[in-house]
Amino acid sequence: MTKNKVQRIVAIVLVAVAVVMAVVGGIHLPQRSGEKATAIIEELRIRTLLDVTGVGLVDTYVEIAREEAMAKGKAEGLSLKERKVKAEEAMAETRAKYESEGVEPQADTAILLPVVAEYAAQLEVYYDLKTAAEEAYVEAHMAEAEAAAEAERQAKIDAGQEVGEEKPVTVDMSGFVATPEMEAALASADESFVAVGEALMQIYPALDDSALKTLKPTITNVVLQQGEGFTQLYDRYMAAGSGEALTNPVNAWLIRYADDLLYGTAALIVLALIVLFYETLCKKLGIPRIVLGVFFIMLCFMCLWFDLSLPSLLSNTLVRMGMNAVMVLAMVPGIQCGISLNLGLPIGLVAGLIGGLCTIEWGIPGVWGFIVAIAVGCLIAAVCGWLYALLLNRLKGEEMSVTTYVGFSIVSLMCIAWLVLPFNSLKLRWPMGTGLRNTIGLDSTNFKHILDDFLAFEIGDFTIPTGLLLFMALMCFLMWLFTRSKTGVAMSAVGNNPRFAEATGINVDKMRIIGTVLSTVLGAIGILVYSQSYGFMQLYTAPRQMGFIAASAILIGGASTSRCKISHVIIGTFLFQGVLTLGMPVANVLVPGSTISETLRILISNGIILYALTKSGGESRA
Amino acid sequence: MRDNVNSGIDTAASKAPVRQKTNWGRLFRENAVTIMFVVMCIVCLAFSGQSLSYVMYELFGRLSRNAFIVLALIIPIVAGMGINFAITIGAMAAQISVLWVIEWGVSGLPGMMLAALMTVPLAAFFGFLIGKLLNKMKGQEMIGGLILGYFANGLYQLLFLFIFGNLIPLNAPGLVIKGSTGVANTIDLSTERGFKYALDGLWSMPFVEATHLIFAVLFLVVVVMLVAKKIKTEKALTYMGIMGAFAMLLQIPAVASVFSMVKVPMVTFIVVGVLCLFNTGLLRTRLGQQFRAVGQNRTVANASGINVDKVRVIAIMISTVLAGWGQLIFVQNMGSFQTYGAHEQVGLYAGAAILVGGAGVRKATNGQAILGCILFHLLFIVAPPAGKNLFGDSAIGEYFRVFISYGVIAAALVMHAWSGIQKKKSAKEALTE
Repeated sequence: MTKNKVQRIVAIVLVAVAVVMAVVGGIHLPQRSGEKATAIIEELRIRTLLDVTGVGLVDTYVEIAREEAMAKGKAEGLSLKERKVKAEEAMAETRAKYESEGVEPQADTAILLPVVAEYAAQLEVYYDLKTAAEEAYVEAHMAEAEAAAEAERQAKIDAGQEVGEEKPVTVDMSGFVATPEMEAALASADESFVAVGEALMQIYPALDDSALKTLKPTITNVVLQQGEGFTQLYDRYMAAGSGEALTNPVNAWLIRYADDLLYGTAALIVLALIVLFYETLCKKLGIPRIVLGVFFIMLCFMCLWFDLSLPSLLSNTLVRMGMNAVMVLAMVPGIQCGISLNLGLPIGLVAGLIGGLCTIEWGIPGVWGFIVAIAVGCLIAAVCGWLYALLLNRLKGEEMSVTTYVGFSIVSLMCIAWLVLPFNSLKLRWPMGTGLRNTIGLDSTNFKHILDDFLAFEIGDFTIPTGLLLFMALMCFLMWLFTRSKTGVAMSAVGNNPRFAEATGINVDKMRIIGTVLSTVLGAIGILVYSQSYGFMQLYTAPRQMGFIAASAILIGGASTSRCKISHVIIGTFLFQGVLTLGMPVANVLVPGSTISETLRILISNGIILYALTKSGGESRA
Repeated sequence: MRDNVNSGIDTAASKAPVRQKTNWGRLFRENAVTIMFVVMCIVCLAFSGQSLSYVMYELFGRLSRNAFIVLALIIPIVAGMGINFAITIGAMAAQISVLWVIEWGVSGLPGMMLAALMTVPLAAFFGFLIGKLLNKMKGQEMIGGLILGYFANGLYQLLFLFIFGNLIPLNAPGLVIKGSTGVANTIDLSTERGFKYALDGLWSMPFVEATHLIFAVLFLVVVVMLVAKKIKTEKALTYMGIMGAFAMLLQIPAVASVFSMVKVPMVTFIVVGVLCLFNTGLLRTRLGQQFRAVGQNRTVANASGINVDKVRVIAIMISTVLAGWGQLIFVQNMGSFQTYGAHEQVGLYAGAAILVGGAGVRKATNGQAILGCILFHLLFIVAPPAGKNLFGDSAIGEYFRVFISYGVIAAALVMHAWSGIQKKKSAKEALTE
């Protein structure tokens, strides 16, 4: 009872804090575009401007001090040497003075306000025009750039170099010329800069024309840079150390972080719900899913907090879920027919890869290429899967360790095969040396993105790969239909309780063969779906770990080593891929340039398999 | 080292007379993997085009640095836990120790000793945790150990990338490279701070003299045992005969020239020998009996009052500590190691080696471990050049030996599972009849 009470109290406190944050955030967020925000930015801008100009002026002041000292020395009748010494002393003194205290404004800084505001407005007009013009230029030249990139890729393939990870096509901006409107806007901005210069000269009488000229780019940069809004300006000025100029720093902070307050509210409410319904959730989902689910939600909020583009990341997650789902689905018949996790999945993957290689070798383009690849892959997978099933039928109860090492052996055997298989296409082979390439780049003449781009549409940053998701749904639906069929029901009976199944007259061995073949075939389809989305076919040691990744995904989804459902596939793939996709950019913000997300993958993927093993272990499977 | 092979011969000889009469075919079948490997080694050796003396030189180098870690696998096999693929974690413990010994600047033999000392609590603690976890997945220890090794590799990377060198500063030169996160990719032991050849360099001598010395010592031991009547006269004479024959063989210049390049690191091989004695000795103690009992049948062992879980944890702890020491011997011989990769293949290679020697998932001896180590590494030396000569590509040989490593383990597991099921089936049939 007391535990329940504590839960409730914690939840109430969390919700209360969340409500306060929501109210504060909600009040301050609309003010970003209001007068208050403008006032804050102006305060900060003037201060930064003065600081920057002052620093630029120190040298001028030092020079003045030297001349004064020299003149004074001459008046006192000192020798040249003594005068020089005096002058150096004076220079050092002046420099130290100004560098420690800053340069004092000589006039009221308020005169800067209107002129700088005017200058900023003019600059904004100019930058808006520039952005629009640049966008138009990029749009006009995109096709050209894409063609160039494709040609370069082709040249690389012909020259026998490794084609690396695909980079987004960029348009070369060197040919960009300013439009007349832009030039007019820039001219009027320059005019308004004259007023700024005059005001600055009033404030710092030492500022002369040449010094102003050198300072002009700096001042312009301080006032406004291209594409900056409230948050960017605020961050930049605060980083420059102008925060003390604010009359109301708390208010400014609240306006700047209003959106993060709102995100925090949502996070706290989620947390409160989890605290409140912890036990129910534990029972329904199990601890690993709660941990990973909470981790995923936390990563979402961290993306928002670090101002990363959450929609595009979620869209990536969706793509990667579709990419991997069929491979994960291959675990389902394996588990249901009683061979537990099919860690020998690489057998199917290799078959699928051979199918893909064949279509490229035969030069079958587009959709037909993909279909032929699947057909060839399935054929090989079915034969290999059948042999593999015969082996597994002699090893009941020991499948896991055997399948792992059989899978590993097949992958390394295929490493030799990739070296000697008689493929001739230069897209596949190294032009010099023997064997196939490590990664084979697919392009528009093969089946690259054949599913991803089918009926794909965009909502803002969020791209929906319709074809990929439809294919995934189709596969899941077919699998679901199969589990409802007479054979499917018999098969899952074998997986759940082989002795009982045998007693009711089900042919256990036959069911295990069907399940294993199905699993291997789905593996072949899965790797092709993966490759078309990834844009590369990876040979050699790449398939070795994929069985583990697929197995961990379905376990994350809630399957055990003897029971699973289609929903486990979808939930598990989404959670696993989501954590990996969101984890990478967040980790890069926390520890720049690190491989921490790879480490994360190793930990999650193997951790969940270990967890499942401890649950299935003991004497139960003897 | 001869001692170990002798003990291997001993076990074979003690069983052979019974079997030789009964069934040649069965003998062949039970040692199929070993025989296949001998054939493969001979074929590859013939096609490799390398001189025998070079191969011997390489082989002894590899043997001195790899034998110890293979021997570390025996205890868990006897205790019925299969091949302990989690020895990678012992290797990680050793590498952590090496890092800190270099950081403290303790070099040479004291450094090696300190690292060995530091490995003990670390590896024992890790072994304790591994044992606890494997107790929760009885019957799935091998796959569990393999995946646990992968999982621990993730933790190891976290430790070396983000904790050492960042949260805990390292000051020794070369351990941390400026501009990149974490510990450097390679840790070098050949600097004045390291302990390259700390053990190997203590005392080494040419092969022929080394064998003479060892034979002399063994001869004395056999004589003493004979006088103390701990050994049968026939057996003692056989040993002496074998040793004498081998010594005579070495007098032939052609045979001696094969071993001309070999320099035997005496201390390392003595350490390996001591481990063999330790393995045999331990299995004769009460604890050793418990290992056997648990390995044969957990239920029976439990019924006879043995704390099965505890015995299994102890077996894994011993194995992990020994694996750590094995990795230290490996590292001091190599002189440097890949910080993030040196431990990854340890379990695979050691497991494959012991299986090649004829060991199974349930039984293994020192002799099998040493024999397997010799055959496995012989293939490792000759496969790439043979691949190059036969197919014109050395990559084929490389992939071939990786395939062999995995394939041997897969084959052994299949055979083991098969025989287990056959036994169960025949037991069932016997029951129903």
